[in-house]
Amino acid sequence: MEQHLGSVCECILSLSTNDKRLNLRALASARSLIINSSTSDSTISALFETLTRFLQLTTEPRALHHTLKLLSDIAFHHSRLSGLVFHSVRSYLLRSDSTRLSAESLAVLSSIAEHDRSLASAMDELDDRFFVSLCFGPSVSVRSWFLSNAFRFPIRPYVLLTVMLGFTKDPYPYVRRVALDGLVGLSKSSVIEDCGVIEGCYCRAVELLGDAEDSVRCAAVHAVSEWGKMLVASVQEMNKRYWSDAVFVRLCSMVRDMSMEVRVAAFDALGKIGVVSEDILLQTLSKRVLGITKEKKPLGQCSAKRKSLGQYIPKHFDIQACVAAGAFVHGLEDEFYEVRWSACHSLHTLTILSAKFAGEALNLLMDVLNDDSLNVRLRALETMHHMATCDHLKVQETHMHMFLGTLVDNSTFIRSTARKILRLMKLHDLKMFQSSIDGLLENLEVYPQDEADILSVLFDIGRNHGNFVVCIIKKFSQEIEPSCEGRLDFDSVRVAALLVLAISAPLSEAQKVCSIPSRIFSYAVTLLGRISHALKDVMNQNTLLAYLSHCSKSTIVDNSESFFPMIEGDIPNCSCIDMISPAGMSLQQGASENENQKRLEPRKSATPLLDCQLEVHSEVAKSIKLILLKINDIWFLVQKGCMAEVLRMLRSFREELATYMSDSLVSADTLAFTFQYLRVVKLLAKVWEHFLPPRKTQSYRIGELNLLLGKLDRNLKEMRYRFRGLSKEEELHVLELILVTCILRLSKVEICCHNATLKKLSMIISHAEFLHKEGSIEPYNFVVELKKSLGEIDTYNDGASCRPFLLKRLLESFSLKQFRLSGSPKHIKAEIDLPGNDTEPLPFISGLPVGIPLEITLYNVSSENRLWLRMIVHEQLMEFVFLDLNQSGGCDEVRKFTFMAPFYRTPKAMSLTLRVCIGMECLFEDVNLITDCGGPTRELVYICQEKEVYLGMIPW
Amino acid sequence: MAIECLVLGAGQEVGKSCAVVTINGKRIMFDCGMHMGYLDHRRFPDFSLISKSADFNTAIDCIVITHFHLDHVGALPYFTEVCGYSGPIYMTYPTKALSPLMLEDYRKVMVDRRGEQELFSNDDIMKCMKKVIAVDLKQTVQVDKDLQIRAYYAGHVLGAAMFYAKVGDAAMVYTGDYNMTPDRHLGAAQIDRLQLDLLITESTYATTVRDSKYAREREFLKAVHKCVADGGKVLIPTFALGRAQELCILLDNYWERMNLKVPIYFSAGLTIQANMYYKMLISWTNQRVKETYATHNAFDFKNVRSFDRSLINAPGPCVLFATPGMISGGFSLEVFKLWAPSEMNLVTLPGYCLAGTIGHKLTTGKPTKIDLDKDIQISVRCQIHQLSFSPHTDAKGIMDLVKFLSPKHVILVHGEKPKMASLKGKIESDLGIQCYYPANNDTVCIPSTCWLKADTSKTFIRSSLNPNFKFVKTISEDKSNLVSKETEATSVLQVHDERVAEGILIVEKSKKAKVVHQNELLLMIGKDKHDVQFAYCCPVQIGNLERTKGMDFALSKNVVSTSDECSWLHLLFAKLATKLGGNIQDFGQHLQVDSIHISVCLKDICPYRTTDGPQKEPAVFFCCTWSVADVNLAWEIISIMENLDLSII
Repeated sequence: MEQHLGSVCECILSLSTNDKRLNLRALASARSLIINSSTSDSTISALFETLTRFLQLTTEPRALHHTLKLLSDIAFHHSRLSGLVFHSVRSYLLRSDSTRLSAESLAVLSSIAEHDRSLASAMDELDDRFFVSLCFGPSVSVRSWFLSNAFRFPIRPYVLLTVMLGFTKDPYPYVRRVALDGLVGLSKSSVIEDCGVIEGCYCRAVELLGDAEDSVRCAAVHAVSEWGKMLVASVQEMNKRYWSDAVFVRLCSMVRDMSMEVRVAAFDALGKIGVVSEDILLQTLSKRVLGITKEKKPLGQCSAKRKSLGQYIPKHFDIQACVAAGAFVHGLEDEFYEVRWSACHSLHTLTILSAKFAGEALNLLMDVLNDDSLNVRLRALETMHHMATCDHLKVQETHMHMFLGTLVDNSTFIRSTARKILRLMKLHDLKMFQSSIDGLLENLEVYPQDEADILSVLFDIGRNHGNFVVCIIKKFSQEIEPSCEGRLDFDSVRVAALLVLAISAPLSEAQKVCSIPSRIFSYAVTLLGRISHALKDVMNQNTLLAYLSHCSKSTIVDNSESFFPMIEGDIPNCSCIDMISPAGMSLQQGASENENQKRLEPRKSATPLLDCQLEVHSEVAKSIKLILLKINDIWFLVQKGCMAEVLRMLRSFREELATYMSDSLVSADTLAFTFQYLRVVKLLAKVWEHFLPPRKTQSYRIGELNLLLGKLDRNLKEMRYRFRGLSKEEELHVLELILVTCILRLSKVEICCHNATLKKLSMIISHAEFLHKEGSIEPYNFVVELKKSLGEIDTYNDGASCRPFLLKRLLESFSLKQFRLSGSPKHIKAEIDLPGNDTEPLPFISGLPVGIPLEITLYNVSSENRLWLRMIVHEQLMEFVFLDLNQSGGCDEVRKFTFMAPFYRTPKAMSLTLRVCIGMECLFEDVNLITDCGGPTRELVYICQEKEVYLGMIPW
Repeated sequence: MAIECLVLGAGQEVGKSCAVVTINGKRIMFDCGMHMGYLDHRRFPDFSLISKSADFNTAIDCIVITHFHLDHVGALPYFTEVCGYSGPIYMTYPTKALSPLMLEDYRKVMVDRRGEQELFSNDDIMKCMKKVIAVDLKQTVQVDKDLQIRAYYAGHVLGAAMFYAKVGDAAMVYTGDYNMTPDRHLGAAQIDRLQLDLLITESTYATTVRDSKYAREREFLKAVHKCVADGGKVLIPTFALGRAQELCILLDNYWERMNLKVPIYFSAGLTIQANMYYKMLISWTNQRVKETYATHNAFDFKNVRSFDRSLINAPGPCVLFATPGMISGGFSLEVFKLWAPSEMNLVTLPGYCLAGTIGHKLTTGKPTKIDLDKDIQISVRCQIHQLSFSPHTDAKGIMDLVKFLSPKHVILVHGEKPKMASLKGKIESDLGIQCYYPANNDTVCIPSTCWLKADTSKTFIRSSLNPNFKFVKTISEDKSNLVSKETEATSVLQVHDERVAEGILIVEKSKKAKVVHQNELLLMIGKDKHDVQFAYCCPVQIGNLERTKGMDFALSKNVVSTSDECSWLHLLFAKLATKLGGNIQDFGQHLQVDSIHISVCLKDICPYRTTDGPQKEPAVFFCCTWSVADVNLAWEIISIMENLDLSII
């Protein structure tokens, strides 16, 4: 290859003399030389020389275009030359007279400078005039390119503002759009403080709300929203209300646009406005112009001050009202679910502003529960939940039918969100209370899987409405009491539910003297396991037992010695008061015979037994804890780039842990988990190295990073799926690492398989969000940042150039947090054995299926896991067999069985080696593997060592 | 040029929609409907007004039909087959498919049941339909070399469209009937932001503002759910197209979500044909139906089964859709007779029932007994639920559409006169758009846009390509303000980009108009450039000389000598600088502000001096010259100077 160098260079040079035709072949071979990592340095240098000379000589635009491309390739693949490339391109840029080529070289320069910080200062030397002159040329494409990339160049904000503002007048809609986007970007930089300028920008954006082009109107909505916010912030206190109303009404005028994107943008923007007059808010819920508003004075009383701003007072409020009329009515019955969703979402924030508005909005939201789209229904419920947490949820009798309907909805999410609202809801009369209880009981009947949550909701409702409970329990007491045959019907979930409701009453504030018959509490003791499982967030079993036995003696509970703290807001209160009396303990022993108790998850506070066990392994635990703490410190070194040191430390940890290997079962799982974590950290560190500013002596083989990322992915996946019983925090930690990996992958243009990664990213984020909400855990900074910019990442998915910046910023916001291992995760693993196969191959007949008797041992695999046996001869010859766990017997912890695995497509060979392995389907990965042999539909994570099986042909 | 709109039907009334519009010489007939309320000549539009000689083929360039309702298409076979029109007719595919069914149905009712003389035969309908050219949404059809039309989605009923027509530079939209809010099965009207001279819009609900239909849906579902939960039977009498599908989608979804297992039945007549059309014409339905189409056709109702007569008396709850809508006979009456006596059952009726039908009797008052005929009497104990879904837009929707399109003129049709008057007032006052609502057979004439084609010079094009914007802080009339329609003075930073406006239009005799760059103009017409300069010799008082101590001025009368020229100038400079700020510059022999040039006038008689009368106060004269651009500023400065007194220091 390199022999050709001479001819290649010659060819390229000949371009300069013979301008007519481009020698594309020469250019192509030059490029292949550049990107080939094994090309020698001297060759690259020679190529660089040639290209630089060529850059000086030629004037032919097409040739120059290719040269610039090649030079940028050199800079990116051979970082030692990037400085030289930078300077030669820069000197070209300064004398180039073609706008298009100037733009191209500027693109090359800026991307080099973004990689190499040291060159950034050289970028700064170019002055604003130079940059700006680019977009004043006649080339529209350069203009729009420049405007959309302007933030990458060191231009003073005010110059940039002038340019952006000016180009909102451009005749080309695309340029107008980009200029508006630029203005939005500028508004975020918060350097512009001049009131007049802000007003100017805002007014310009308002003018463009009437643009003929959809995309421009959409961008204008964003701009109006952002600059409107700035405007509100910049004016005096007394005018703020006036202006935020004005901005709000402007945005309202866009909700009836014909373009769906514009409508979505308008509703999104409406939700971002922090202060709005109640009159206007109420008007958005009615299509008719409300009478009361007309009599009112114009908003605010600060007319004189406003005049000083050069502004005017709207003489007729009804014109504003007319514009705002029914904005949300339209939004919530829009044809596109995106718009409806967005309208629900912006109600979310606006309902905080006014209780009256929230009350009116609820009427509309209740109807949204009848929407066809699950997303919209869920959003509406979440908005209601939010209203409930702000104490703005005033549910009325008429709403109940619609609302309680959601309790029997098909979707689990809808049901659980509806119950969450019910927990916080204030029910005014017995009728509503009764219907809510009926709704919950119906929910329980139709979906028995919701039992735990329903019981806990009943408990909460009961606590909040003690008086009603007493009334209701009287009615239901027939059902609870043993029937005349003396048979207790306690296995019915319905009875359990009623008992939970009954026992909650004494805790109610309203009910000082409880008139629930004390025997009911004794009945409840028989369902202790079931109930305490459901109420595990509120109290542990011992507390519950103590409470029940206390109440069965006398039902007067003094609130001052409150057993359980009242629920505040949404956060389930986990702090339990341990009230273990000796009597309680003995009772507890008795109760533990109850079958139900087996289902209880061991909880640290509730089961001293487990503590005891842990003590045995305290040494291991302590050392694991210490190591996890140290890993946290390592991250600092990784960021510094001290890779050798990092790897050395990780190795020593591993060795330290290895000494505990022989310990008992429980710690083995924890150990396995720690090992896995160490592996992940090591890989992450190695990957991270590639993203640090390059050092002089570094050179990487191409594809190395790709390989590392692949490994990292695999290990993270194992960490996520091969361990059962991870707490929410732990799971979130793993998810965060996965997210970082995704971002790392996206950052390398040459690697990323863009769409798949983006899809994964959004999936993980939504899962993480779910966990955050479920566990009420403060989300990590990185995840928050990522979520914010997810939209941006998405929009630039055509490989445009704003991304690197964004991704870099994201990566900077990441830091490895300390992993707190709270519980003991269970390691899912498997062993395959085929006794005697090492000495004697299994017989087979070519072309006929063969059965392989495998002895399989599964650890911690539950019957919900879907396992597959993979058998490979070579890449093309692979078969999957499903392992049906229901037939295997054994319990979840250890299952041992022999499985006759059929292998169908035996090849024509005298002997062959079959590699057998067990994989588990990953629940959350939704990648369809294309297998022609009816294999798994989701990605697999392999849970055992590959076993080689030897097969020998039966001689005929 | 002008647009002429002759309203032949639906002028200040609802029924027989027909408007003939002449745009730049082209004549289009929008809709050709019949009035269902009349049986005499008033049933059809008065076609004779189009052409006295009845030569419709030359009088009309094309016919456009918006949707298949009879008040929009009913007179079409009559016009083509009886009156003899044979030019092109445009309508959307679904309208073309469904119109003959509607027409044939109507003809049968007229001839077979009422025994009237038929106005057109089945043959006529078929022949007429053969002439129809079907168009797709947003497909631009070039009717002839000048006239183009385009259909936009209108909601309302399956296949309903609004039509855009353009001849040369004049453009208009005829909406037909439309709906601005989506249904469960149809979408909301959708149109581009077009430059229009005229918008002809329906105004059925010119003053009604309708609330969200969600509330009505909720009531309906609650009633139905409650009835079936208590074991009752629900009878839903409907028409075959539209309402049946709408309610069925609503119920089917609810059933799905709530896991209800109660059967929903469709009486056989309905299902097959109507649902077939809906399934085929998926692209004309709303967004959700389209989106889910790949996985599940919304018109394949999951919970719906076809009904068998034997099931009428079967025990247990059920929901049944049956024709006809107002229980005027047929299957729905048959079922009603059997189900009405039980109070567990429910009958839901459409919002509007024709007088004389059982539906009408049920909705007016609460009859406990209905006499079917002399012998049969039905006792009605079942519950009645009334449900109105109108597929027409409400007043707010009309305003929204008009605001979005912002045409130059609006004509209202298809509505009631007093309501139209009120809407007209609203459009004119709120949106500032001229609005008309002509009666039948009236003609409205409006001016139309006419663009003149002009050549351009290369320099002009080049200059237009380069951005050339400037910012002006102006005290301007804020016209774009939509919050306040009153124009009020605001000082706002504004952007101007004059690159296009900078050209000069030249119209030479017998040549095409041409736009050139301003620099080229002189070259083209071979003339020199003239600058217009303004000049004014302005006296500035110097007050009592005695008071100006320390200044040794030699004054002869009221003219200053040369040596003092500079000091006066300096004095003026100092005074002006305090008033004008840093704009003013002193060049020694003269002062300058932009193009304004001020120097001391030494002439005895200056042609620019206007004060002929004897000077009372001693004054120094300053000659000011300026160019057109600075007229305002110059006069401002002069007025300052005239009020100055240089002697007061």
